[in-house]
Amino acid sequence: MTTYKLFRSIDGEVNVVIRNSKDSIPFDPDNTDYQAYLKWVSEGNTPEQETQ
Amino acid sequence: MTMTLDGTNGLTFNDTSLQGAAASPYVLKNRIINGAMVINQRGFSGTPTDGAYTLDRWYADMGVASKFTVSQNAGSVTPPTGFVNYLGVTSSSAYSIGATDIFTITQRIEGYNISDFAWGTASAKTVTLSFQVYSSLTGTFGGTLRNNGNSRCYPFTYSIPVANTWTTISVTIAGDTSGTWLSTNGNGVAVTFGLGVGSTYSGTAGAWSSNLYFSATGATSVVGTNGATFYITGVQLEIGSTATPFERRLYGQELLNCQRYYYKQIGSTGYPFFSTGYVNSATRMFGIFNFSQMMRATPTLETTGTVSNYVILSSAASPTVTALSIDGQTTNFSAFLIIDASAGGMTAGQGSIFRGNNTSSAFIAYAAEL
Repeated sequence: MTTYKLFRSIDGEVNVVIRNSKDSIPFDPDNTDYQAYLKWVSEGNTPEQETQ
Repeated sequence: MTMTLDGTNGLTFNDTSLQGAAASPYVLKNRIINGAMVINQRGFSGTPTDGAYTLDRWYADMGVASKFTVSQNAGSVTPPTGFVNYLGVTSSSAYSIGATDIFTITQRIEGYNISDFAWGTASAKTVTLSFQVYSSLTGTFGGTLRNNGNSRCYPFTYSIPVANTWTTISVTIAGDTSGTWLSTNGNGVAVTFGLGVGSTYSGTAGAWSSNLYFSATGATSVVGTNGATFYITGVQLEIGSTATPFERRLYGQELLNCQRYYYKQIGSTGYPFFSTGYVNSATRMFGIFNFSQMMRATPTLETTGTVSNYVILSSAASPTVTALSIDGQTTNFSAFLIIDASAGGMTAGQGSIFRGNNTSSAFIAYAAEL
């Protein structure tokens, strides 16, 4: 099962999400991994809260 | 050297190859990337998960897990003349496909690269899909071309009359005058080869449809026969109604084409260097890596998932990495890496290097696939 955890960048913004504790996905609408993450959220799932 | 020019064949060279139409130039005509199946940055060989990329630019639909494997040059047959690689699919079982099952190999072509097709307009151009295929099975096989919204699909069929022999296939497709076809950095058109597609997603060949199809009705199911093989190479999609000779590209050119979508850093030793940067604190390094070209989108950073595969080098310490991510300031031309190390001992302001930690499995990859 895919897991997601939000990541806070050094500018203080939460604009990256970590997938399966190994891949970092930027919040870019053109990134298909980000699109998959948004679909996962739209299905009622909630990511782990951010670190940093 | 003899060349002839006439109104029927266009330009004919003395090796009988044709420049069939002025609309299809001899170079930069093929919209497929890695059609010769040469580039395999992932080193992929095995059973793909649903949606996983295999050889560069080619991903698998695996509607039910573990029904086929993909390897470059699977089975080690002799590639067709002029090629050294092919994408090889091998069925892992004798699976009876259900109505909604989908097993395919697909390449999505970026919209920028098909904008001159003028699809979705009255000026839509005819295209020709050509490839070389080899299978342990004979019969009618299928595939489709689809738009980004899956609202325009063109199922096609082709025949493999002799088993275990390379067959040259050419499919000419009248351009679609309807629908929405992206001419951006999104998915312009998906080219799919069916390996077993259920009836729900199989349509009548030879006509555009607004239904979602991944193959043509009646197509042979590769996954239906245990051990069946399906090998393909020389895939070309070009404007025009005639298949012209496969467009050769230098290795470096094709690698660069692939790296717009996936860029992998991996070394032959246990210490590949991934990034230079500076020490921000006793436990943190910031690294910068500039891509070889603008990637299609801001990429996902892919790692091994084992942070101890990585290490930071600075003047006074070489701490093992404990966390690794891109920062949100990463762009499609440059990655900003945040690399943490619990052992500390680094001095803020010093230069540093991020590299593998004595393991040949260490890699960093950036993915901006369609």
